[in-house]
Amino acid sequence: MAWNRLTPAGRILAVLLPVLAIGGALTTVLLATFGGAIAATIGANLPIVRFLVASVVTFLISVPVAFLLIYMEMKIIALMNLRIGPDRIGPAGAVMSVVHGLKVLMKEDYTPPSVDVPVFTLAPVVVYLASFMTLLVIPFAPELTSMGFELGLLYFFAIGGLSVVGLMMAGWSSFNKYSLLGGIRAAAQAISYEIPLTLSVVGIVILTGTLSLPKIVAAQDGSFLDWFIFRQPLAAIIFFIAITAEANRTPFDNAEADQEIVAGFATEYSGMRFGFFFFAEYVNVFIVSALFSAVFLGGSNPPIHIDVNPQILIDLSALGIGLPLIAGIAPIVGTLLFAAPIWFASSRVKGWQALVAGFLIFGGVSTAAVGIWAFVMLPPVASLIWFLIKTFALVFTFVWMRGTLPRARIDQLMGFAWKWLLPASLLNIFATAFAVLIAGR
Amino acid sequence: MTQQMRPSLDDPRVAIPADSTWYEPAPSPQTERQAEFLTLREGEMFVNMGPQHPSTHGVLRVIIKVNGEKVVDLDPVLGYLHRGVEKLCENADYHQAICYTDPLEYVSSLFCEAAPVAAFEKLMDVDVPRRAQYIRVLTMELNRIASHTLFQGWMALDLGGITPILWAFIERDEIVDMLAALTGQKLLYNYYRIGGVNGDLNHEFMSRLGTWMSRAAAQIDSNLALINENEIFVRRTRGLGVLDAKTALKMGVTGPNLRASGVPFDLRRDRPYLVYPELEFDVPTRDEGDSLARYLVRMDEIKQSIRIIDQVLHEMPDGPVMAKLPRLLRPRPGRAFGAVEGPRGVYGTYAISDGTDQPFRMRIHDPSFVHLQLVGPLTKGNLIADTMAVMASLDPVMGGVDK
Repeated sequence: MAWNRLTPAGRILAVLLPVLAIGGALTTVLLATFGGAIAATIGANLPIVRFLVASVVTFLISVPVAFLLIYMEMKIIALMNLRIGPDRIGPAGAVMSVVHGLKVLMKEDYTPPSVDVPVFTLAPVVVYLASFMTLLVIPFAPELTSMGFELGLLYFFAIGGLSVVGLMMAGWSSFNKYSLLGGIRAAAQAISYEIPLTLSVVGIVILTGTLSLPKIVAAQDGSFLDWFIFRQPLAAIIFFIAITAEANRTPFDNAEADQEIVAGFATEYSGMRFGFFFFAEYVNVFIVSALFSAVFLGGSNPPIHIDVNPQILIDLSALGIGLPLIAGIAPIVGTLLFAAPIWFASSRVKGWQALVAGFLIFGGVSTAAVGIWAFVMLPPVASLIWFLIKTFALVFTFVWMRGTLPRARIDQLMGFAWKWLLPASLLNIFATAFAVLIAGR
Repeated sequence: MTQQMRPSLDDPRVAIPADSTWYEPAPSPQTERQAEFLTLREGEMFVNMGPQHPSTHGVLRVIIKVNGEKVVDLDPVLGYLHRGVEKLCENADYHQAICYTDPLEYVSSLFCEAAPVAAFEKLMDVDVPRRAQYIRVLTMELNRIASHTLFQGWMALDLGGITPILWAFIERDEIVDMLAALTGQKLLYNYYRIGGVNGDLNHEFMSRLGTWMSRAAAQIDSNLALINENEIFVRRTRGLGVLDAKTALKMGVTGPNLRASGVPFDLRRDRPYLVYPELEFDVPTRDEGDSLARYLVRMDEIKQSIRIIDQVLHEMPDGPVMAKLPRLLRPRPGRAFGAVEGPRGVYGTYAISDGTDQPFRMRIHDPSFVHLQLVGPLTKGNLIADTMAVMASLDPVMGGVDK
């Protein structure tokens, strides 16, 4: 059989090509027949369609974000532990977390006997759903907000609080005492910290008069002194501690304290179901960092507005036939230009090595040039980069805390929330309200 | 009489449907204490930790009776690592017995050699050359530091900090490599002999030791700074598992755990052996008797050990490292007890000779075994997380407990 002589890639193509051909033909016929009706339906239900598309997009970006964060954590904690960390797969082990994800996908997905099967199966879905759905309201840039709900902050707390339902489901359905303890710890912790978390932003809501995240970000426009971390420092501290507990991160990772209750709610999970818990944790870290940077660190606003308007306008259409010529020639000339000094510098470097190095350097330089151009000329890109810088600085802080701090005990944790954070957040609300009353906004 | 079969998962005749719930039948209680332990009151449940659990330091199994998060009662189950070392020693001659005792406490195995060697030497009236005595003191103190630095990492790891153990392993790795250069082994050294040590100090050991000594104190201080001032660490260990001096003495606690309760008992000073009387060192004590005190006493001991090593290196005499002994050792009938102060407490060996070349009876006293009985009394009424903090601060090594 010819099938046996095909390579794996060839087999995939052999199946895929007919499927694509038939599917394409069918789609064309369907569009030609019902195109108008479909367009009309979409037009009539635009908000729903927008919501669905935004959900799919956030789901698709949440997975690479989790991969990136897992790699970051592996590498940074390794450096703090005086280890090397992942270094085998990809440059400096950069693809390691992707391979981890694939490994988890391929492992046996075992359902232990005597678990509550429907609840056990649904729990990871609920947890992951709750974490990536909160990405919807994160204002990456004024133009890059998936859903600019008017009640964005409320939506965030509501959906984010849903993840604890998933953890409770996992803990209860697993038929394991460690899981039960972990699930109950997660519930107790999340409920306790939800209150100071929500109350700490009330001061900001009083100041801005809105619950919409893009509007809160817009209210911090100006220099970095306008950021709410300087106008509401107490709220920022409470909020940071509370989101650490919400994201189940050290020192508040009691729900999955492996020295005490093995893996907490995830003890009985294996394969991709465990993977969902694992990814959800890292997506959560990203989301809470993003929320902190949006609410307290000015979001996509730059720290200082530099009022220069460099007009680097490149009118590509003016080049005419020169555009494809330049696009064809520039890489070759650039590669040769960067390769030449390397080749001349050392007689040990072979010609092809110099060419490869030259190509890589050219790629880096041209990407950097385009990036700088975009940063200067396109406001959404600049906003997105500022937002990501702040968010990843916070992600680094979370990883740093994981590398240095031991775990707080569960009673100390709860006592801290109820005895200190709650009164402090109430005090913050009253102080802010009083100040607003006196100053008259 | 037909014996009633208990259902067992290993029995192929017992078919267990996959969707049913299978409970282990409760064992019938043998003693009053066991009966009390096995009765569950309202709201209580058993949590079984171990023998495979991330923080039980080996194959210790702890059955915890909890009411919510609170530990009501606790029962350590021992014996998962039982190898019958005492019996093995009784079937080997005196030299061979030493290498059986070696892996008892694999973290600090030189002390497990030193105790039987001391007993056998008393049995045979051997005079150990002074250089060999100095070398023993030197290597034992090095091993004590290695054990205590590892304890520091463990303690932090059991409280959830992941970095200190890797920092602590820097010192331990260096000491272990040093001792490997001297003895040829990294973990189970088998270095002490009846009447001396196996081989004089060599160049690699001395040069590594010199390099390490020049930075040891500063390095260990920086390791301590990593967790000693940590608010979470201190809050989780201060006032936890308080052991008062009277109970400690009654329970037979020795070593740092006893000294943390305010009893300044140290075998090196109070029942001197080897050349310890000629060396100058303090016996650090604390009065609190809690987990933090037990941790801090060990950290103070590291500094005293560095001080001892410094003196030993200055006063080391020349001479042979092995006494002249016949190849086949046949001590006259009698009995002897040898003990050394180890990093966990008093390691003792009681040996009876019947005149042949094998010990007639050999009994090994291990401090970790004694300390494990404290886990129950010290943890009762605390939380599950405190079990780990108490257990880590007692620093048991299961190899020695199960023998």
